[in-house]
Amino acid sequence: MKPLFPPALGISLFGARRLYSSFSVFIALAGVAAAAKTPKPDFAREVLPILSDKCFVCHGPDAEADELKLTHYEEAVRLRDGTQAINPEEFKDSLLLERIADLEDPMPPVDEKPLIESEREILENWVLSGAEYAKHWSFEEPQRDARFNSVDAFVKADLRANGLDFSPEADLRTLVRRASLVLTGLPPDAESMEVIASSQDPYAFDTFVDQLLQSEGYGEHRARYWLDAVRYGDTAGLARDTRRGLYPYRDWVIQAFNDNLPIDQFITWQLAGDLLPDPSLEQQVATGYVRMNPTTNEGGSIPEEFQAKNNFDRVENLGTVFLGLSMQCARCHTHKYDPISQTEYFQLLAFFNNTAEKPLDGYKYDLPPVEKAPRDIADWKRFKQLKSLGSTLSGDQVLELAEIECRMSTTLVAEEGDPRETFLLERGDYLSPSGSPLQPGVIDAIGRMPNDAPRNRLGLAQWLTAPDNPLVARVLVNRLWQQVFGVGLVRTPEEFGLQGEHPTHPELLDFLALEFQSSGWDQKAILRRLVLSKAFRQSSARRLDIDDPENRLYARGPSFRLDAEVIRDSTLFAAGVLDPFMGGEGVKPYQPPGMWESIGHRKSNTRVYVPDTGPKVYRRSIYVYWKRASPHPMMTIFDAPNRESACAGRSRTDTPLQSLALLNEPQRIYSARTLAESMVDSQETDEALVNVLFETLAGREANQTEQIACVSLLEKTKSAYLADPSLAESLLEIGEGQRNETLDPVEVAAWTQVIVAVMASDPFILLY
Amino acid sequence: MEADPIREHELMMTRRQFFGRARLGVGTAALAGLLGPAFSAGPNQGTTHHRSRAKRVIYLFMEGGPSQHDLWDYKPKMREFAGAELPPHIRDGQRVTGMSKGTLKVMPSEYSFSQYENHDRGIWVSELLPHTAKVVKDLCVIHSVHTEAINHDPAITYIQTGSQIPGRPSLGAWLSYGLGSENSDLPSYIVMHSQGTQQGTSLFGRLWGSGFIPSNHQGVIFRGGEEPVLYLNNPKGVLRSQRRHQLDALAAINQEHYRDFGDPGILARLEQHEMAYRMQAAVPELMDLSEESGSTWKLYGEKARTPGTFEACCLNARRLAERGVRNIQIFHRGWDQHDNLRTELPAQCKDVDRGCMALITDLKRRGMLEDTLVVWGGEFGRTAYSQGEYGSDSYGRDHHPRCFTMWMAGGGIKGGITYGQTDELGYNILDGDRNPLVGEHQPTKHHFTPGAVHVHDLNATILHLLGIDHTKLTYRYQGRDFRLTDVHGHVVRDLLA
Repeated sequence: MKPLFPPALGISLFGARRLYSSFSVFIALAGVAAAAKTPKPDFAREVLPILSDKCFVCHGPDAEADELKLTHYEEAVRLRDGTQAINPEEFKDSLLLERIADLEDPMPPVDEKPLIESEREILENWVLSGAEYAKHWSFEEPQRDARFNSVDAFVKADLRANGLDFSPEADLRTLVRRASLVLTGLPPDAESMEVIASSQDPYAFDTFVDQLLQSEGYGEHRARYWLDAVRYGDTAGLARDTRRGLYPYRDWVIQAFNDNLPIDQFITWQLAGDLLPDPSLEQQVATGYVRMNPTTNEGGSIPEEFQAKNNFDRVENLGTVFLGLSMQCARCHTHKYDPISQTEYFQLLAFFNNTAEKPLDGYKYDLPPVEKAPRDIADWKRFKQLKSLGSTLSGDQVLELAEIECRMSTTLVAEEGDPRETFLLERGDYLSPSGSPLQPGVIDAIGRMPNDAPRNRLGLAQWLTAPDNPLVARVLVNRLWQQVFGVGLVRTPEEFGLQGEHPTHPELLDFLALEFQSSGWDQKAILRRLVLSKAFRQSSARRLDIDDPENRLYARGPSFRLDAEVIRDSTLFAAGVLDPFMGGEGVKPYQPPGMWESIGHRKSNTRVYVPDTGPKVYRRSIYVYWKRASPHPMMTIFDAPNRESACAGRSRTDTPLQSLALLNEPQRIYSARTLAESMVDSQETDEALVNVLFETLAGREANQTEQIACVSLLEKTKSAYLADPSLAESLLEIGEGQRNETLDPVEVAAWTQVIVAVMASDPFILLY
Repeated sequence: MEADPIREHELMMTRRQFFGRARLGVGTAALAGLLGPAFSAGPNQGTTHHRSRAKRVIYLFMEGGPSQHDLWDYKPKMREFAGAELPPHIRDGQRVTGMSKGTLKVMPSEYSFSQYENHDRGIWVSELLPHTAKVVKDLCVIHSVHTEAINHDPAITYIQTGSQIPGRPSLGAWLSYGLGSENSDLPSYIVMHSQGTQQGTSLFGRLWGSGFIPSNHQGVIFRGGEEPVLYLNNPKGVLRSQRRHQLDALAAINQEHYRDFGDPGILARLEQHEMAYRMQAAVPELMDLSEESGSTWKLYGEKARTPGTFEACCLNARRLAERGVRNIQIFHRGWDQHDNLRTELPAQCKDVDRGCMALITDLKRRGMLEDTLVVWGGEFGRTAYSQGEYGSDSYGRDHHPRCFTMWMAGGGIKGGITYGQTDELGYNILDGDRNPLVGEHQPTKHHFTPGAVHVHDLNATILHLLGIDHTKLTYRYQGRDFRLTDVHGHVVRDLLA
């Protein structure tokens, strides 16, 4: 393969490892006179984003050979028609300077994206100070900053530079709630809260964090983020949007996180578990990742077209999830900004092009290849236990294993099939293959494929997890940071390329990425580090002494609205109705009737939503059935994606529909009623009960405002219900489950309304 | 609580910014921010790239691909080819779906067409659309819309999101993002699913979804029946006065939280709770048709009284438009006549014909048509040749991407004209000299071909009429400034009044 950016001369954005070749030193000396007065901008942080955003549209990686490329030094100084964009002899005479300052015929042209004054100044300073190029930061291997050795040291250095310090530590109750929500997606139970709050042990919080990391809820919560990224759904996603078997993959993800499977193996199993020697069932189930792309069998679909489209989807998902790069541009042409050629795109695609499944899914639940896997997580655990005993199983154990195997479920897996030739498709059109067949290969600018790596999906995984891959650890660690702090160190978690945002704390990101790798890809260790940091533990109250609305300095703790799943799960948890059952086929809690029917295909097997009954409907949201054409409304109303494509970070919006859902959704009403019943059964005063309520929902007693608001609401509501007790009766009829008939309906109904309001309030639905 | 002047000031400023923006109706609109200081908004102009011709759009989406041959694109000469193999020079190497096998026999329409006067040379309309035919003087009928996609899912995703592969924001979400809302009691983008006679095919949340732009721009579904918006109604046993009390308590708690944490998002949520409360009143008022006059019912017909019918959706669309909702889309399913065209197509037409006429007429009577853009059409057309046994009772037509008919009306559209022409078999688009645009001349998304309207061109034109330059309404995701029209699309100037 011909490298896109020949590294021969050493100064390339993408190709070479070291910036200072002897040539560039010479250049730097030549520019020294000008440089003495000119501030030298940081190329990667200040200059490259401007070049990429404003110039690369025409002068980027995909510019024609005879056109000006500003991608690297040799191109920028090349003599074209007697002129040089950058004149290395006399930087001030560079054509680039003239053109960006030209008022009548400026570069970039007015109908493109004009430079703003500060950008022009940076470019001028850059050229005058020697026009040094460096690689885009994320394609360089992470560097250890020897000065610091903890999250807080990095954050503090930045705060100090701005004349600031951390906020004071949040109070312990707030902190316990915060850590619990971040690590498990559930609030702490009242008992743990009391134990820690009354503990004299200075390390009580640390111990609590370790308990959270060991709890089953940890993996359930982590898995949800992963399922967003890999676009997990229970249906095919296209055409009839039919059922398909993949939930054992979801259950495997949960367990992998709970078992703290090293993330390099977590990646490898998903991409290539089937290619490992003598693969275990888990390793095969993990390859469900490769089968996660939406599929179709729409009448008239052309197999070759979907063989291509399915693979586009896989390559692009891989790009976003592991590399933080949008690959999509390179499907049709060489990437405009990033060093990804169209050839490389199709070489990457070639890794996936030999998988055995048919390109059209036949609307099947079990389109081969498939495996049978334990039907839920309890079965999984027992299955693994029994398997580990090998030949020493007792007679009963043999029988038990047989029973588990007998009730296993089908799950889609990846296997290699007959080899297919892969061609570059012109403009991404499957009807326009071009050139000779391509061998599987990786992106030249991003690490190297280990020499002995096989040219298959296993080799692909080895490339991703190799120590010199500059992106994967950073991208994953950034998403962990985002889960903890609400935003990433790179605020564009899906984009680490030239057009992405620069990290707020690049050295910290590198530190964490290197820690992640050197710890053996230990995800729990990284999260533990983050949650125990001072940065995390400080108060999240806004500071009037700082103008930092987006908290880029981390001078206060995290604060954000909780995600859809956490809101629902916390509600069920607080009401004591959450069913802890783990795994199994997706469950169907109540949703307004007709939602699926109004969009579903006549022949679709997901046309009619039949709600489940019994405890199933109170399982955690990670187990709620995910129909991609119409996910559960309590998910989508609170910003959940539809899981047709990768989502590396959800938006957080505020809408009136959320208000309606918070206050009217039947499962929430039922939860509030259940909690009300447990409260009014005591002989406490209303004030005391309001405190109990806030302890349950916010982990602390109510303040004065809350007391007044709740008691006043309670009284007004009660008087309305006393005037018409039948209203109270109707409210209490909502939701399944037995009412406690011994209680006064007026009392229970009035408290239900109070609880619904508090469960919709910010102290409950926000992390702070 | 002690007064804290700095905090109070900050609170006021944040509130003023927030509510100020909300009042202007651009609380969520992008244009204000995108246009930069050079842009100045004229009176009554809102924040748009140029003067908008339409203030709002009502998009009647016919899911499945209505047969242009049997409704709009009159080809009397096809009778001469009836039953004959589609000539290879006409097919022009066109790929056909996996469903068309064996010979491709030309199937002329069995329906009679009549010519109606418009502002041009008249227009032929099928007997299946007797009502719509009455308003052709207001319609701009485009015979030459084209797409690359040949299957429903990719095609409908394409025309609605600008990409055949899921993941991008829908047209409606782009409009919501670009234009914001004029009504603070109702969502800015409303979607209705009309319940017709055929429910054969699928819709997807992505067709009104927000893709990678913030999810508050996704379409809000208005459903037929008791609860038009999800979770709109208070639970049984909760009175509106009680809800008010609940919201007051909620506001007190949230304000206290704001005092402690100072997060402006808390104020944003307070406003959303209030909007929800207003919506709870506005929606029933909207759905309460008792004030509609006898002439309305005469126009829309009695079926409009049944929630969920196309007529009812059209009437709702007009009522929403009156209330300042700028972005309304009705999906009518079931236009996928691979077989049983003889029974299904007349039923489909009967579902929508009167509603289309009534909506146009109604808007016109109220003086709203001039600033309301109405769009009608599906994701592709149908073939000139028959599918299934030729001429049998069960015959139908396959998908056809090369040309299909859509119409637009109102807001800045030249009414009473037709645009684009197709060959004698309604198979290929012709140029101005009636030469078939085949082979290398076939229209593509890459270049604008006069007389042809690619789906990107259609979307560019819709945005243009609403005051938006389709090349400038962008959202940065994964480092790229995405557009509805990708890197394509041209405003079709010939359609503009």
